[in-house]
Amino acid sequence: MRCSLRCWVMSCLLWCSVAQAAPLELNQASALATVQGVTTAEKVSLPYHWDRHYKGLSGDIVFEVPFALPAVKEEPYAVYFQRIGNTAEIWLNGALLARFGDPLRPNTSDFAKGPQYVPVPARLLGQDNLLRIHVHADGGRRGGLSALVIGTEGEVRPLYVSAFNWRVSASMGVMIFSLLVGGIAMALWVSQPDPVQGDRRDRVYLFAGLAEIFWALRVGDVAIEQPLLAWPAWGVVVTAAFAGWFCCIALFCHHVAGWHKHASMTWVRIGLSVLFASSIVVSALSFALREPVYLTAWLGMVNVLFIVYTAAYLWGAVRVRNTEWLMVAIAGALNVLMGVRDWVAIRISGSYVDNTWIRYSSVLFGLVLGYIVIRRFRAVSVQATDLMANLSSRITQKEQELGQTYQKVEQLAREQERVSERTRILRDMHDGVGAHLSAAIRQLQSGKASSEDVLQTLRYTLDQLKLSIDAMHLLPGDISSLLANLRYRLEPRFAASDIELQWVVGSLEPVARMDANAMRQLQFMVFEALSNVLQHSHATTLAIEAEMAGSGICLRVVDNGRGFDAAAPPRKGLLAMRERAVAIGVAIAIESRPGRTAVEIRIA
Amino acid sequence: MPLWRVLIVEDDVPTRDFFADSVSRCADLRLVAGVGTFEEARLLIEDTAQAIDILLTDLALPDGNGLDLIRLAGRVQPRCEALVISMFGDEDSVLSSVEAGALGYIQKDFTPDNIAHTILEMKDGASPISPMIARRVLAKYRALHAGEREAAVPKPDVMAGSAEEVPGGRTLLSVREQEVLELIARGFSYAEISKLKAVSVHTIQSHIKNLYTKLAVHSKSEAVYEATRLGLLQPPSSSVTPR
Repeated sequence: MRCSLRCWVMSCLLWCSVAQAAPLELNQASALATVQGVTTAEKVSLPYHWDRHYKGLSGDIVFEVPFALPAVKEEPYAVYFQRIGNTAEIWLNGALLARFGDPLRPNTSDFAKGPQYVPVPARLLGQDNLLRIHVHADGGRRGGLSALVIGTEGEVRPLYVSAFNWRVSASMGVMIFSLLVGGIAMALWVSQPDPVQGDRRDRVYLFAGLAEIFWALRVGDVAIEQPLLAWPAWGVVVTAAFAGWFCCIALFCHHVAGWHKHASMTWVRIGLSVLFASSIVVSALSFALREPVYLTAWLGMVNVLFIVYTAAYLWGAVRVRNTEWLMVAIAGALNVLMGVRDWVAIRISGSYVDNTWIRYSSVLFGLVLGYIVIRRFRAVSVQATDLMANLSSRITQKEQELGQTYQKVEQLAREQERVSERTRILRDMHDGVGAHLSAAIRQLQSGKASSEDVLQTLRYTLDQLKLSIDAMHLLPGDISSLLANLRYRLEPRFAASDIELQWVVGSLEPVARMDANAMRQLQFMVFEALSNVLQHSHATTLAIEAEMAGSGICLRVVDNGRGFDAAAPPRKGLLAMRERAVAIGVAIAIESRPGRTAVEIRIA
Repeated sequence: MPLWRVLIVEDDVPTRDFFADSVSRCADLRLVAGVGTFEEARLLIEDTAQAIDILLTDLALPDGNGLDLIRLAGRVQPRCEALVISMFGDEDSVLSSVEAGALGYIQKDFTPDNIAHTILEMKDGASPISPMIARRVLAKYRALHAGEREAAVPKPDVMAGSAEEVPGGRTLLSVREQEVLELIARGFSYAEISKLKAVSVHTIQSHIKNLYTKLAVHSKSEAVYEATRLGLLQPPSSSVTPR
């Protein structure tokens, strides 16, 4: 006691003399630990890692830390704990300075996750002071007490802030980043179809999203002083979140490498599900049985698994040289390294105040995912632009082809028109001029016809020719012009035969359905009727009558000649007339008696 | 009855002889010559000492076009009235002849009496016309009228003081002439038209002759107007006579 007191004073003086501005760091204490009813007193050095001393067991420990201040300045003081918890109460010189949680209620809150800062009013301090810290630690929950630092606010606060930033703020940053990435990834998963199998969703985003959400929970835990569940259930949850993270990351990596198409995928999935389940089982067991070594061993196994996986993954990436794959592989490798380091630093070497480094390296996955998304987006963009350009050039090409096709169709139509016109003309010549010329030749050859008859026939031939030329200029449906023209062409013949012509033609509307061919056929019919009158009827009066009948026209050729037997089998000319009428769809009616013959044509 | 001097231009010898014969047979007509080429005809026409009252010409000549001959005659011998010899009397050839200045046509298959009759009638003021020709003239007139309505704004490049008016359908046919043409197109004879419109046959016949003259003038002035507009001709203010 005396020795220690002397040492104490010596060290105090030493500290005071060395740096009056430097805060006081206290790392010696006398402790009274109570575990499972058994109280032990001992001298301890800080930091004091509870789990190392009483692995898996929960209990209370009261630290007494005396310290001396040569001069108490007129400033606010503060004490900074890098770690204290899980719950604690702090008395300074008999006054309750601060309370973190309720040490009397175990397995509730946890204040040992980050640094703590307690302002100390200067009036509580004196030359000799005693800090009494009652800490309650839950089993396996990393409770304990780190070294204390006392000083003025100006001296102490920077230390706290720095530690806080490294530990808590950074983790918060990582958590927010993970939530953002996770949220975006989930949104992408919901909205994006698989580039290969268009109807399904792209699992890459699902696993990345889930991983980030798990990680957000795991990392955000650092700020959760009042968890939703009691300890050790909460510990299982956090461990499961960690397991969820690396299982989903593994699946994500699998997908990026394209290994998910491999037959072994089902095994991989099963394996990872088992791993995830095992995290829950092992952590539960570890806490329940108060054997942290289970969890350590399990984490070690996970590390090994992932070292192997990452090695294989990296090998594949280097071989295939896929940029996405390579980047994921590098991120993964770094994370695995961090994981190993953390395992060694925290689980094995027993450091109490260290941070895990994997919390920072996990950000790499988020960044890689961002890169992958941007790459994919860009590829799609380029594809779309290509497609548009391609499409427009294809459309131009198609339009050109269409134009050419139209031209060809037009040409064909014109050609067809020409052919049909030619056919019509040939048929016309055959029916008209041809027929009459042959008749003239026959007349001459027979020797029986007079030159007057032959002259008549030849005149008809010329008339026919003129009529066919006139017909070419007739407007389709213009019956009025057709009749006017017939009159003009044939009137000399009537005059020569002393036949009086009566023109009883009213105002006629065009009949739309009579096309060029129909007009010609009608012309033939009327000409036939008129020439019959000239040749056979011996009439003195001929009337050409035409009037509108509804929307159609009714025209008649009436003469006062001797008539003929309309009932008898018709001559060739009359037969032709009827055939033509049928061909063009007009009605013809012939009635004849001596003194009146009427040929009536109805055009509907 | 004065004696009309007739020049016949027809390259087919039998036809030419037939026409010459028909002319010779008529007391009121005297044959000046019957030639078969453009050149021969041109020489005769340009010889102003030789007065020609009637030109009877075919359209297709071995060394030229009957239309040119008609225009030449119109320029050199203004008293000369031309008739074109047509095979079919179809509108196309008749109308282009009329626009060149012909006052009618004679069909190749006319009888000799017919030929003489047509010539004399024409000199008397009655030009031959068919329903088809009448229809064509009406259609052309309507097209001109419609075109004129569109171009209601006077064209700025018409030279001020131009002797030729801007050709328009409005000035071409009078209402009377239009009515007569329509009735002819519908097939009515002159006698029937004179009854319907209460005008003499002679008046109707002279309408047609006037109409032909107008068509020729219109066609000529249209050509001149177009040529002036296109800058191919100097406006009439200069001393160059438009063709």
